[in-house]
Amino acid sequence: MSTERGHRRPLSSFVLRGAALGAGLAAVAFARRWLDVVEVQGGSMAPTLLAGEWLIVESRTYTRRQPRVGEIVLAADPREPERELIKRVASLDPFARTLELRGDTPEASTDSRAFGSIPMQDVRWRVVGRYWPARRIGPIEALPG
Amino acid sequence: MLRDLLRPKRRVHAHCDIPCGIYDPQQARIEAESCYKIIEKYNGSDDELLRARCIDIKEQRAELTKHHIDVLWHDYFKPEHLEKFPNLHEVCWKASKAASKVKQTSDIAAAQELLSLIDQIDGMWKATGGPEKTRLQAVAA
Repeated sequence: MSTERGHRRPLSSFVLRGAALGAGLAAVAFARRWLDVVEVQGGSMAPTLLAGEWLIVESRTYTRRQPRVGEIVLAADPREPERELIKRVASLDPFARTLELRGDTPEASTDSRAFGSIPMQDVRWRVVGRYWPARRIGPIEALPG
Repeated sequence: MLRDLLRPKRRVHAHCDIPCGIYDPQQARIEAESCYKIIEKYNGSDDELLRARCIDIKEQRAELTKHHIDVLWHDYFKPEHLEKFPNLHEVCWKASKAASKVKQTSDIAAAQELLSLIDQIDGMWKATGGPEKTRLQAVAA
């Protein structure tokens, strides 16, 4: 007796599914070049971002335009380049092509007040959203500059 | 399982140099007193070896004094303190410069000037609640 579950699907169905899966994996692999996930360490971006939270970052926007004041970005720590910082853009100098970074908790943040402004070209990644913890899932909006 | 899969490998730092919030101008004062005493010893001795050591130690202590003054200036003092003491920047700046002077010379008057500027900083620290806010009142042994 034939049931729905036991019904044999045509070969083309498997081919289509396989192709879709392959395309999906290829898309993810491709997207990884400009889309990535990061974990926050430290508390200088509280209350916006807390230590241990997982974020989605992207690197396409800044190939098309400059960073804007109020956006949360990643940048190498000028004092320890292998360490990547996450801070908010506090101000821009469009002529010098530099920007200043600040933590959202200025009294517990080491930022441009300590290491000065940084070249705009060193800022490539922008924070777009949070996917963990579940109760704080959502987009991360830039503050109006 | 899923959590491990979703967990980012890339870590980014909302960094802070861990401000411990402990400040006291006495730290600068002790190093400056060292400079003062070393200059006295330097001027009162004919021993070239001792005099050379005095210069070496004095330079180290003066550098430490300057560091402690700068930490107070940059980290302890806040805009509201500046409102209360409009000459705050000038005093800290002069004290920092006086520490450099002590590093360069063996003039006892320079060390005296440095101590008096540190005492002015101490006065502002005390008047802004420094002793209560930036020192531990009691630590259990």
